[in-house]
Amino acid sequence: MLVLTRRIDESIVIGKQIVVTVLEVRGDQVRIGIKAPREIQVHREEVLRAIEAENAQAAGSAARTRQAVARMPQAARKRRVDPPGSV
Amino acid sequence: MSDEAVAAAGDASILRFDEGIPGFADARNFVLHDLTEDGVFQQMTCLEDPELAFVVLYPWLAFPDYSPELPESDQQALGITNPAEAVVFCSVLIDEEEGELFANLRAPFIAHARTLTARQVVLSDESLPMRAPLTQGT
Repeated sequence: MLVLTRRIDESIVIGKQIVVTVLEVRGDQVRIGIKAPREIQVHREEVLRAIEAENAQAAGSAARTRQAVARMPQAARKRRVDPPGSV
Repeated sequence: MSDEAVAAAGDASILRFDEGIPGFADARNFVLHDLTEDGVFQQMTCLEDPELAFVVLYPWLAFPDYSPELPESDQQALGITNPAEAVVFCSVLIDEEEGELFANLRAPFIAHARTLTARQVVLSDESLPMRAPLTQGT
């Protein structure tokens, strides 16, 4: 891993379009600003990992989920009413 | 989903996840079909890998107060300028032991209603659960 030391308001440039700036340091917390093109998604790592795990479990259990949905009583599902023109 | 159903869906209804989705980076194109007559539950099946599918939920009947706030970067990436252009659905999973169903309200799939450009959006509201219970006493 590349390790760089930066002060507040100093930045790191990644590639041509991503700029990471240290905004504030308080105790063991660091506030970081990120400028990136809109097609680059930026996530907190632990949140992304959790969503990956949820997706993996959702995909892995899709067949059982589908069966459970089919068994649900209609009343419990209620009815979907779309506003006109929606998809 | 059967091959016939995939073929019948046609290009017009293919959701394009240009960045893949977390955990499935190569899964780009998905089709939706109804699992229930009311359309509340749908299955989202990957065209690249038909074995890959998610059960998804139109969230507002089960969670009427759900009001996902689309981050600006996602609005721009999806080209969504007003809420009417957004199609929102939430992944559903089952707890294999309890048999209980949960919806992921924290990271909904959101598509532009017309272009069908889609993304799994991570909402910044940390109070939204990744597992909101969907079945109670069923």
